[in-house]
Order: sequence, then C-alpha cells, then structure tokens
Amino acid sequence: MADNDLALMAHLLRRAGFGAARSELEEYAAKGYEAVVEELLNPEDSPPVEEDIIDRYYGGEAPTIWVGKWFYRMIGTKRPLVEKMALFWHHVLATGINKTEHLPSSGGQIELFQRIGMSDVRTVLLEVSKDPAMIYWLDNHENRKGEPNENYGRELLELFSMGVGNYTEDDIKNAARAFTGWTITQPIPLYPQGHFKSEFQFSQGDHDEGEKTFLGHTGNLNGDDIVDIVVKQPATANFLARHMYNFFVADEPQVPAWSVEPPQDQETIDTIVKAYMETDGDIVAMLRAMFNSDSFKNAQFKKVKNPTELVAGVLKLVGTYRFPEPGVVAFGAATTLMGQTLLNPPTVEGWHTGKEWIDGGTLNERINFAVNEIGDAGKPGIQDIINRLGAHGGSVSPEEFTDKALDLVGPLPVDDKTHAALMEYAESVGSLDFSSDEAREEATPRVIHMLQMIAATREFQFA
Amino acid sequence: MVRPHGLLRAGFPFLKTLGMRRITNFPADVAFGAEGRIYILLRTEVDAEIRVWHFDDAESLTDQLIGIGGLGKDDGKMTWPVQIIADADENLFVSDEALHRITSFNMDGEFVANWGEQGSEDGQLNGPSGIAFDADGNVLVVDTLNHRVQKFTSAGKFISKWGSFGSEPGQFNMPWGIHVDELGDVYVVDWRNDRIQKFNSDGEFVFEIGTSGNGDGQFNRPTGVAVDADGDIYVADCGNNRVQMFNEHGRYLQKFLGDATLSRVARNYMLTNAFPNRLRDMANLEQEKLLRSPKSVRVDAEGRMYVPDYRSYRVQVYQKEAIHLTEQQLAPPLRAPTLQTV
Amino acid sequence: MAANGKPPVMVILQLTGGNDFMNTLVPYNNPVYYDARPTVVIPQDTVLPINDTLAFNPNAAPLKEMFDDGKVAIVQGIGYQNSSRSHFRGMDIWHTCEPDKIGTEGWVGRAIRDLDPKKENVLTGVNFGRGLPRAMALAGTPITSVGDLDNVGLMTGIEEEARRNLALDLFKKMYSPAVGTGPVMEYLAQTGSDVLTGADILKKAPESYTSEVEYADNPIAKSLKDVARVHLAGLGTRIFYTAHAGYDHHANELKTHPGLLRDLSGAIMDFFQDLRDHDAADEVSMLVFTEFGRRMRDNGSGTDHGSGGGAFIIGENVKGGLYAEYPSLNPSDWLKGEDLDWKIDFRGIYGTMLDQWMGLDSVPIVDGQFEQIHPFN
Repeated sequence: MADNDLALMAHLLRRAGFGAARSELEEYAAKGYEAVVEELLNPEDSPPVEEDIIDRYYGGEAPTIWVGKWFYRMIGTKRPLVEKMALFWHHVLATGINKTEHLPSSGGQIELFQRIGMSDVRTVLLEVSKDPAMIYWLDNHENRKGEPNENYGRELLELFSMGVGNYTEDDIKNAARAFTGWTITQPIPLYPQGHFKSEFQFSQGDHDEGEKTFLGHTGNLNGDDIVDIVVKQPATANFLARHMYNFFVADEPQVPAWSVEPPQDQETIDTIVKAYMETDGDIVAMLRAMFNSDSFKNAQFKKVKNPTELVAGVLKLVGTYRFPEPGVVAFGAATTLMGQTLLNPPTVEGWHTGKEWIDGGTLNERINFAVNEIGDAGKPGIQDIINRLGAHGGSVSPEEFTDKALDLVGPLPVDDKTHAALMEYAESVGSLDFSSDEAREEATPRVIHMLQMIAATREFQFA
Repeated sequence: MVRPHGLLRAGFPFLKTLGMRRITNFPADVAFGAEGRIYILLRTEVDAEIRVWHFDDAESLTDQLIGIGGLGKDDGKMTWPVQIIADADENLFVSDEALHRITSFNMDGEFVANWGEQGSEDGQLNGPSGIAFDADGNVLVVDTLNHRVQKFTSAGKFISKWGSFGSEPGQFNMPWGIHVDELGDVYVVDWRNDRIQKFNSDGEFVFEIGTSGNGDGQFNRPTGVAVDADGDIYVADCGNNRVQMFNEHGRYLQKFLGDATLSRVARNYMLTNAFPNRLRDMANLEQEKLLRSPKSVRVDAEGRMYVPDYRSYRVQVYQKEAIHLTEQQLAPPLRAPTLQTV
Repeated sequence: MAANGKPPVMVILQLTGGNDFMNTLVPYNNPVYYDARPTVVIPQDTVLPINDTLAFNPNAAPLKEMFDDGKVAIVQGIGYQNSSRSHFRGMDIWHTCEPDKIGTEGWVGRAIRDLDPKKENVLTGVNFGRGLPRAMALAGTPITSVGDLDNVGLMTGIEEEARRNLALDLFKKMYSPAVGTGPVMEYLAQTGSDVLTGADILKKAPESYTSEVEYADNPIAKSLKDVARVHLAGLGTRIFYTAHAGYDHHANELKTHPGLLRDLSGAIMDFFQDLRDHDAADEVSMLVFTEFGRRMRDNGSGTDHGSGGGAFIIGENVKGGLYAEYPSLNPSDWLKGEDLDWKIDFRGIYGTMLDQWMGLDSVPIVDGQFEQIHPFN
C-alpha cells in the first residue's frame, strides 16, 4: 500500500476520529478512503461501545469521571465520528457545567449529541432548544410571557445558526418571546441521595401566545416555528458549514470575526452548503461532501489539535485504555491545563481554537502530557512501535531510526530543522541493535526517548 | 444445618435506609460484624474505602466518620474494590480488581495482608471480583477475566479452581458475585451471561437461573447473589435496577424495586438546608425511592436483606417475615395447578 | 511613579461575565434603584455607605476598608459608545480597543511590547490562568502563561537529568526562529523558546517565597497569590493578568454574586497585605474591570446584559475616591430606555494606567487620545 494512502488515512482518522494505532490504521487503509468515509458516516454498521463494560468498571458521578468515561469511548469506539460530532456540537452549542452544576443535564447534553449529532440540523437545534442544560445555561427557564429573557433567543441566532448580521434586534426579541415557557422540571436536589434528572417542560401559562414577527414571518410563533424558519435560512447553512470547516478542515478566525472576515476557502464551504440545501440540513450529507473534497484531503496538519484531540491521540498511540484501567480522571484534568475543560467551555461561544490553543502554558502542558504518556515501555502501543522498528532483527541506522519513528508516530512530516534535531539525537546513541533480547532491552529507552522528542516537536501539535 | 420443611411467607417489608451522600458514596457491597456493625464498601474512580456504620444508625458515628482503606496502590489501600466479606473475628477481606489482589484488614481497620498477583496460572488472578468464605474458612474468589472460580486458604494459598470462558453450564463470561450457602453449595453470578449458576462444593454444576431480559426471572447484567438460611436466593439485577428473589429450587418469587426513605442522617442534614428543601417541594419525588444500579445484595442472620444502592449513595434494608412450616402445616406437592384454592 | 524607585507594575484583574456595578456600588438612597430592582436588590439597611448616595455591597467589606484607607479609586460609569451586549464581542472590544472592527492585537500585548521592545524578558507579561486572554495576544511578543505556578517546566517527565538536558537542548534547536514557515508555525517556535526560557526562571519563584498571609481557598485568591509569588521573586514582570469568572448573573444573582464579591475583595486585601509585608506594594497598582454592567431592571431573578459598568484602581499610590461620574438613574437618561449610560471611555482608563502609572505612551496602544482621570499621588 502506498505511503500517501496511509498518510491520508491517518489524516482522515485524526479529523473524523481521534487518531489510530498503527495496526488500526493499516486495517482502515486496506479498505480504501471512500469506503472508510462511508463506514464512518454509517456508524450503526459498526459495533457500539460496550456500555456494560463501562458501567461495570467506572463508577461515580463527578464531572471528571464522566469526562474520563468519554475519553474511554473516544479511544475505544469503532464509531469514532459519533464521538467527534458530539465534540463538534459541544464546541458549537457550548454549555458549561460551572453554571448548571448538574451532571445529569450537562453530561446528558453530550449524550444527546452522541445520539442525534449526525441527524439533521433541524433535529439538533430543536432538541437542544429543549435540552435542560441549554435551557438553564441561557436562562430560558426564566423566559416568561411579559418578562422575556433574551439570552437563548440571541445566542440561537448569533452563535448556533445564522451568525451576526443576518437578523435584527427585533428578531431576537420575537424569537425570545416564541421560546417563553420552554422550561425544565425541577430535579430532586443532589443531597442526600445523588443527582436526579431534569427534563424539558412546556409551561403553557408562561408562553406568550401573542403575534410575533420573525425574519418576515408573522403569527403566533413558538420555538418550533423559530427553528423551522432558522434552518431554512441560507445564512444558517453557511454559518454551520463554516463551523464544520473550522472544526474538521482548517483553522478559521474566531467566530466573532466571521461577520466581517470572509472564509479562507469559500469554495469548500459552498460545497458543504450545497449538501445542506439539497438535503434540508442532513448532517451526514454535509460531512460526506466535506470529507470527499480535495481541500479536506489536502489539509493535512493544517489545524492545531484541540486538547481533547491531543490527549486522545496520544492515548491511541500508546495503546492504553482499550479495556478499562483505573486513571481515566486524569485526562479531563490534562485537557483543562491545556485550555479545554470538557463539559465546561468558557463561554457560550465555545472555545477559541486554532492558534489560540497555544500559549506558553498550554504548550508546556501538551508536551509534558505526551512525554509522560510515552515514557513507559510497558504500554502496548510503545511495544508495538519497538517491535516494528526491530522487526528485521538487525541493526537500525540513525537515519532509519529517525525516519521510521516519525513514520510510526504519524506518519508525521517534519521540517529540516526538526529532522536535524531528531537526527542529532539518533546519532548520539548510534545504530540501534535488535539482534538479541539484551540489545533490544538497551534499544528500548532510546526508542522511547526518540518518541518523546517527536511528541515535543512543533509538528506534533497539528492534526 | 437443616432447612425448614416449608415457609409461610408473611411479607418482606422495607425496614430502613442507611447512609447518604458524603457518608456512603457509591456503596458497592456490605459485610456484617457483631453488635450491628456494618462495613460498607465504597468505590468510585476517586475514592475507595470501607465505611464503618451501625445498623442502629448511631448519631455518634456521624460525627466521627470511620473509614478504612483509601484510594491507592500501597499496602492498606484499594483502587477498584469489588466485594467485602468479614470472618468470625471481623477480619475484613476485600477483592481489588485493579490490583489483582485480596486485601485484608482487622476490625480496627489496620492493614493485615495482601495476596494475589496478576496472571492466568493456578493461583494467579485477573480482575478478581466476588469473594466468599466456605464452611472451612477457605476463600472462594471469582477470577473474572480468567472466567473461573478459585479456592484459596484465607492466607492466599491456592487450593482448587473450576470454570472456563463460555456460555455452557459450568462456563462463565466475566462472572462477578459469589455466595456459599450453609450447606456448602456455591452460587456464582455469571455477569455477562445474565444468569446465576449453582455448584456443589466440589464445583460441579447443579442448576442455573435466568436469561437475558427484563421480565420476571430474567437479568440484565446481574452483580451480586445471596442465599438466606431458608435457601431463598437473592440476586442484584443491576442493569434492571432491582433485586429478584427465588426459592431454593430457583423458582422466581418476587422483586424489589426500592422503597427508600430518608435515612436518619439524611433527615438531620435536610433540617438545616432550606434551599434544597424548597427544591424537594418543587420536584416530583416519586423516583427517589427506587434502586439505582445495585452492585450487590447480602442477607444477615436476622433475615434482613441489604442492598447497596450504588448510584443513590445509600443502603436499602428489608426485613424478611416467614414462618417455618412443619410437614403437618404444608400439604404435599401437587402435580398441577388447581383452581380449587380453599 | 513608585516612591521606592522600583519600576511600576500593573496587575489587571478581569471580572468575566459582566459585573453588576449597581449592586457592587449601590445608589442606596435612590428610589429609582429600588423601583428598578424589585428582586435583585441590596437592602438599604445592609449596605456599607461611603457617602450620602453610594455604598458598597456588604460582601465587599474588605474593598470598603481599603477605600476608607484611601487606596481605592472607583471609576464610575465606564463604557464606550454603542456598547455591545455580547460577552464575546464586548470582551473582544475591551481586549483589543477596537469597538468598530474585529481586532486581533491585545492592548496589554502592545504595552508589553513597548515595555520590552527587544524581548529581553519573557516574563515582562505574565498571565495566570487557563489560556491566554486576547488582551495579551500580540504576534511576536512573548507572554508567559502559568496554569500552576507549582509545576512549571518542560518535559519534567524525563527523570534522568542528562537525558532531560539533552532533550531540552534539542528542543531549543527545534523551536529556534522558524522564519517563512507560516504564521502559526512561527508563533509555535517563538512560544516554545519562550516557554523554555520562562520556565527556567519561574520555577524558582515558589522556592523563595514565604509569607504570613494566608490566602483563602478559592480561584481568585490562588491567582493573586501566584501573582504575589512571582512579583516578590523579582523576575522583572511589569504586567500581570488574571481573571475571576462567573459574573454573568442572568439568574439567581442574589445567590451567587455575594460569594464572588467576598472572594474577590478578600483576595485583593490579602494580596496587598502580602506585598506590604514584603515591602513590595509601592510599585504595584491594580486595575479591576469587567466587560459591561447589567440592565437597570432586574428580570425577576437576575439581570441581563447592560452597558455602563464600573472599574477600580487600587494600590498604595492611588488617591482613593470617586472618579468620573455615576450615571444618572433618571429613567429618561437610560440608554435604549434600559441601561445605565456610560460617562468615561474605557480606553481613557487604560490610558490613565499606561501614561500616568506605567510611563508609556498610551496613544498607539489604545489607538487614540481619550479623557483620562488622575487617580495617582
């Protein structure tokens, strides 16, 4: 199989999933690109994550545990795009547990995204309008006839569908009125017997039945009508296509800039928009158009990995957590230090992405996390890399060592300067010898050290 | 030990709720000591300890919470504890499926010993879960990921084993809880086969109960099993959020869905918490009493059934009421059901 | 300028979410306030008056104490024309000083560039917290961001010292200037080199720190303690940045806002006490700001996004008192019929800090000349 096929497949799996161990990568590559795209787009054809195993081994209900279990899913799932789309919607329809303080709702919202994240935009926007975490986060539970709370109406238009510049302040006010009475049931409080669920509730008495005018439609509109009108707007198709492009293809400027700064690649966004318009917002159709576009295929390493991708990707590389092991709570803590607390985006705008993931502190954390994870020769992924490096049993020259290690970690292309530094390391330890168990044992820490150096490169920060 | 000829089943009322959030977080199992002492095993990703409590729910214990163990890998620590048993001297034995060992403490909570190492050879363990004493004081350990049961001395010396991976009688798929009844027979929860298997003390298959499902007598990933002095069998049907009860022949009798009330400590807590009291006033409380993911079931010598109600931070206790019947008080078995019921 | 001859230092403390200025500095004798706030109200008999019209929220008692000591300048009615009610846009505007277009350069970043044009010290600007605020973003200007001051350094997982030193040496080469590789790659290279330099210096700060002050256990106290530790280590930092989150009180404001004010004012009090104990307070002034105030009327449970807010300038060299003007509460003066008006442009307050305290030229930094106040001795 051609190396570029492998590189392209690795790219697809980094973007549509969370990376792949080498053996997985080879299995996928053997199926061919378009077949794998279809496999990812039709998750029901692959086995689900074994929930009974998760329930058996991972107990407790703290957000850190919930997030740890999500990482376990990301790493082990045969349906990686389901988890990736849940993360996508978490970025776009961002709600934070710092405000809800209610794990069944905040975690439940991600579970909602896992269920409907690949359905259609109308379903997603309607369900999220009825989602307890969203209702509470944007104060729609306080949105009543006669004393409307505009928060949800505003963000639905500004950040979840159309984007600034495509509606008026009056549209916001009328949308808010249409969502009056969309509230939640009171959950039984956390003490003394743990969290209980909250559910969507339509409170007829709080709903404003008056006439409203929204984007040119007049009538006794309710929230369903607002969503119906919104999903038919070309602005919505455009805005969500740009979100998809930004998340899956290449980094765009931050969302507040979108009303003034045109996309870097309108053509690809138009391709996604076309799929949206032809299918009334079918998400799978949008994804298919995107993954099969040339600009997607050519966008290798054009995105800065978000912290979740970085952590999950490293775990895929080292091959741990394919069956439950203790310690999953560490992963949410790790991404927090890298600037991304899952379940708790900083604002309703979600996280600032791309270059903004990187600053002195977060770069330090990203590198240290990877270096630590890789530093254990006992991990199956590290063993696999050592086995592959020493597959021929003989000696491996510094140049082969460097190139093979880069290949097995990615394949990861690096610039001359990085290559020279890695070569300098390889030369400092000389040729690796795999001819005997003793020699192999001596080579092992050198391989690990090389992998740690690779994880510390600039190039490793990109997806 | 002789079992009664028959039983007049008079009822199985709910008795009381023990514990609350912060005191009994995620109880996975319970063991009993003298004078009403109860050892409640707590397990999450961020905690692993044994809470010493008392059946009388004594006020004094609230003020000075006694905990044994703690999360970790060192001696006296636990990582993924699964089940707890107590011997006659109230030495506590805890299985740890992350550390592949059995850890013991004395009744003062002092670490005594660890035994077990990871592997699949005789005497080695891979994810041990259920543990039980047999009549000789040996310890039966469910060796989950080796899909077998192993017998050790209480000091950890290997004696015997049975079982292999599969779904045939005598085979297992990730078994979990275990119980040895007073006659020496062994009951094993065959977790991923959704059934209970009964063996004699030599490990020979006797019968099985259950299939996958949520009907009466069916299971969804059962976790624990207990057998009382009358031979009645209790199964924690975790995935169906209930406990099911069978007679000694494996005939389905009834189920327990949960009847929790607020425990004494919970009531005291709520009396000083105006805000959550208001929320309770606004909420629908119906679901509050129900079991959520029971990870075990145990019975004590008084005929009380204890269910560690894992996701509700509490233990639910029921009291069996049954009168022993003599041969004169119980007619001989019938060949078939009858409509003449008087 | 600081009396002790040391270079001036500025601490910027951002209250994220839009602090309710009216419930922080309460117009406690004005009936309009009580009419507009039937629910989300600070009762008149609980406030801490500073004059006949204004009083601190009772939960800001430490701030009131510092005000009484003459160390707190209250900037009333801070805002800007056509204030944005969007947090994100609003914060962007405050961070970039660009109300009319999307800016990418942060004003603090520009100030740091001017303080250290040759990039001699990667610790000239230090942020405490997760991620870098846009205010500090400026391509080519190194900023150090510290998540946890107690664990800094690269590749700390490589235990063997010789190995780690080799790794750090190679790291330095890999992250040397990457001219022509594109803006993100260049930025990464620069950031990596700065991390290397910064971490080596920073990890010494906790080692040398001792203090009598016991900071409370909350996020803002932890952040300000970190600021103190780095400042006291004498590493040449001129601008510290940190944020206190949670001020977006659309609902349940009376339950959450008091705790934030308590944590905030207590932490500020402890911070300055700590610096004074170490004879290192004279050179430090703090600016506390938020992206907007709240709506005049409450919504039955909280307050929605408004415009005119308030800021504080705090320090030993501050002339305590009220600055600018409390916006009129008269309903006919309300902006859009809903909001408190603004009285002084926030860029003038930045200018005040930059020109009068830091000794910089604020015009290029805030992009213009704006009315300033004179809060320094």
